[in-house]
Amino acid sequence: MTLTDTPSDTVDRPVSSEVPPAAKRQRGRPSWGLWIGVVWLVTLTFMAVFADQLPFIRSTSRVKGAGNFAFGPGAEFWFGSDQLGRDVFARCIYGAQISLRIAVFSILTGLLVGGSLGLAAGYFRGWVDRLVSTVIDVLLAFPALIIALLIVQRTDSLQVSYPDTFGWLSRTWAITFVLALLAIAPLARIVRAQTMSLREREFVLAARSLGASNRRILVREILPNLVPAMTSVLFIGVAVLLVAEGALAFLGYSVKSPTPTWGLLVSESRQRIAEAWWATIMPCVMMFMTVLSFNLIGDRLARRFDIREATL
Amino acid sequence: MRYALQRLGQFAIVFVVVTFIVLVATRIGSEDPVRDLAGGIASESVLAQVEADYPYLDKPLVVQYGYWLTDFVRGDLGRSYALSQSAVEMFQQRLPATFFIGFWAIVLGLAIAVPLGVYSAYRRDGWFDRITSQVSFGLISFPPLVIAIFLMYLIAVRFSFFPVDSDYVAPWDSPIRHFQNFFLPSLALGLGLAAVWSRLLRADMILTLQSDFVMLARAKGMSPRRVLWGHALRASILSLVTSVALQMSGLVGGAVVVEQLFALPGVGDRLVFAIQSNDVLTLQAITAVLVGIVVLVNLGVDLLYGIIDPRIRAARAMR
Amino acid sequence: MTPPLQTELRVAEGALLEVENLVTHFRTPRGLVRAVDGVSLGVERGRALGIVGESGSGKTVLSRSIMGLLPRHGLVREGSVRFAGRDLHDLNPKAMRSVWGREMSMIFQDPMSSLNPLMKVGKQITEPLTVHLGLDGQAAVATAVRLLTDVRIPEPERRLEQYPHELSGGMRQRVMIAIALACGPSMLFADEPTTALDVTVQAQILALLGEQRRDRNMSLILVTHDLGVVAGHTDDIAVMYGGKLVEKAPTKTLFTSMKMPYTEALLRSIPRLDQPSHQRLAAIPGRPPDLVNPPVGCRFAPRCPVAQDRCRQEEPPLRPAESPDHLYACWFPVGSPEHARATQGSQPVSVASPARGVEA
Repeated sequence: MTLTDTPSDTVDRPVSSEVPPAAKRQRGRPSWGLWIGVVWLVTLTFMAVFADQLPFIRSTSRVKGAGNFAFGPGAEFWFGSDQLGRDVFARCIYGAQISLRIAVFSILTGLLVGGSLGLAAGYFRGWVDRLVSTVIDVLLAFPALIIALLIVQRTDSLQVSYPDTFGWLSRTWAITFVLALLAIAPLARIVRAQTMSLREREFVLAARSLGASNRRILVREILPNLVPAMTSVLFIGVAVLLVAEGALAFLGYSVKSPTPTWGLLVSESRQRIAEAWWATIMPCVMMFMTVLSFNLIGDRLARRFDIREATL
Repeated sequence: MRYALQRLGQFAIVFVVVTFIVLVATRIGSEDPVRDLAGGIASESVLAQVEADYPYLDKPLVVQYGYWLTDFVRGDLGRSYALSQSAVEMFQQRLPATFFIGFWAIVLGLAIAVPLGVYSAYRRDGWFDRITSQVSFGLISFPPLVIAIFLMYLIAVRFSFFPVDSDYVAPWDSPIRHFQNFFLPSLALGLGLAAVWSRLLRADMILTLQSDFVMLARAKGMSPRRVLWGHALRASILSLVTSVALQMSGLVGGAVVVEQLFALPGVGDRLVFAIQSNDVLTLQAITAVLVGIVVLVNLGVDLLYGIIDPRIRAARAMR
Repeated sequence: MTPPLQTELRVAEGALLEVENLVTHFRTPRGLVRAVDGVSLGVERGRALGIVGESGSGKTVLSRSIMGLLPRHGLVREGSVRFAGRDLHDLNPKAMRSVWGREMSMIFQDPMSSLNPLMKVGKQITEPLTVHLGLDGQAAVATAVRLLTDVRIPEPERRLEQYPHELSGGMRQRVMIAIALACGPSMLFADEPTTALDVTVQAQILALLGEQRRDRNMSLILVTHDLGVVAGHTDDIAVMYGGKLVEKAPTKTLFTSMKMPYTEALLRSIPRLDQPSHQRLAAIPGRPPDLVNPPVGCRFAPRCPVAQDRCRQEEPPLRPAESPDHLYACWFPVGSPEHARATQGSQPVSVASPARGVEA
């Protein structure tokens, strides 16, 4: 198949070099979707980081008279109040803190471990590749859910049985560990694929012909070229992990109440969705918007750096 | 053929490794293996029963695994003492529901994704393409969980046609009731899949449609329909097929969540129960079956590559 | 080998294709790309026309534009194309599709990428037979076998069941020719048919095309950058540069009395067996013109050794030479005193024996 480098925007334009490239969207001008994503994330992060200082964010403690979903969304409570009289908006913002922290930390850890594995496999090939690929296959064959539930369960019992050594192992840490673990295999695979294709490029061959050591090539040639693609994968990865955390929280296996995460908020008030839709829908919306933003940015970066859809 | 056996062998290894790890993870460092296998039940009679059924619990883990594996291959998947039920019985009762959720989710996902992907690529940047892109992008950002909730709220609560508390009805018993019970849960998962898959297919189709052989097909005077479906689709379908395999593992998790939400009697809540009560045998059995399914699907997809693309078939035959 | 069906659309003799002032521009962010800027030509039934030019001359766009294969998006297409008396512009897409593959066919440059890699060769040949001619399965297969025999592919029955990657480059190109000839078209466009092939195979394919043309009384338009290819296989040659037609003549006339310095330079740049070895190749300096902002005046002027001031200001029109068949566009053609002065000392182009591919 003859593939043009610049995507033409119509069906079957002749591929001969004589025919000029078709009109394509200007690369320099970001689309409105990207702006939405950036604005949302910046605002959310700002609010989450400075939640304590900002005056319009209440604390998450109960407010008298607001219990039993007394307030719907309005001037008093922006997102309404929940069963116990807490401000849903405040809980959403504080939930952002926790959810985001978990997701970001997990993906970074996963990238560190998985990325190293993938890099080694993709660059050195041979037995290293076979070994790492088998490990990746095994990790991927595990139904993610089972791993997650098992590990959370185990850490729970460890915490209970050995409070001295494992007292710090709160659910937050457990979840972070689980998500990072689950992220390793897909990330390793993506990094491996990227490394393998980079390895064959001319600049690597040039460096090698000049006698550069493997380490030098890895650090000076390959890693810098991985970074752009990886930022895109990172963004999409955060989106995926946020969703995963939500699912775990729904099953009761994420951070424990009263610490809010979005998944927890959704599952808490789900029973009463008919009368008090805001307590469930608003955290849903928050989660959706945030996931969407990460996806938008990640996707834009992917298209910019021209990698295939990162399928996590 | 030889290639197929090779792959089967590789997958068998993965299966063994995974189930071994599960065994180790559940039985390692336990003070009272008999109690563990009994699923936390303390009655004397049960404990005695367990000891009788599994006399090798003090042997090294590798040996234990050997016993487990031979049992498994012979069809004895263990039993749950807590619920006095053999694992095989449990699967017979509960696996169909989970299976059908996953199955219909994939079917729905493909049924939506393929026409959408093909047409979006054909009329690239047209209004159809733009709308579909936005919608599918939005759908990807919806966790299946949230989609399920929305579906439940918007549809099941409003229209009594779809029950809120579902039941398992086999499709051969009553197609209509089967549809009633499974449509929403499968849709919840299927929509997310369709979103991912239609984007994948669109991207591949766009590339394919720029290639020379598509131009030749046009120059032969073939209609757009024939060019799209007869020529271009086959060449663009590989990424999609890969994704089906990759999504299997996540589909399992999704099915469990959706089951809970729609109260369908599937394997999911047995799994959660087993984890909570540390019902080791059930846990091993369920994991083994789920991993087996995922592995088999991966194998199937791998073989499918050879069927779709004769060049791959040729390269494999030469190995 | 007679073509299967004769419909009233097919002209037995006389002008089959008449192109008048064809303009094909593309709207791009950079501007309007004038790929083809007013080209007129005609091809009679059974004759072969060679369209020659460098990459960027517009020759491929011309052939596809004539056939109507270019997508409409961002396209500006003016002028008229009459095929067998009908104006192709009037036809709706469905009618065009019944012309393509049936009355008019095209073969492409790279047979590896032009054949569907996932479809058996047989199916690719029988497809137009069943769709256009309504042949049933058996008849289509029989015809396909006959076609493969015509294009000199051994063991045709076996080939039907094979995939393109199982065949050699030359065989693939023959298959493509078979596909193009399947419904007995009266005109065949060959877009750089030999560029991707080995030299020895090139000659065979060209010979095959010539043979089929004669047997079927089919017109042929051969698009190429290689003058050697057109030398022995065409009746007329049209030279394109910068989107315009700069010289047009019967083949022999072109080689013996070319007018345009560009044509002369093209001929001179062909390396020849009887030249002493290690001689510098006489390449044409400079690059093809920017089709968005073509130079004022003659488009070849920036690179022409003979160029005078007039050339840079006024675009030369297409004028007949000694014989009415021979058209050229140049102020100071070969034979004029300015030309002689400018080319003093350079090797004369001897065209008694062009490099290759000459057949009686």
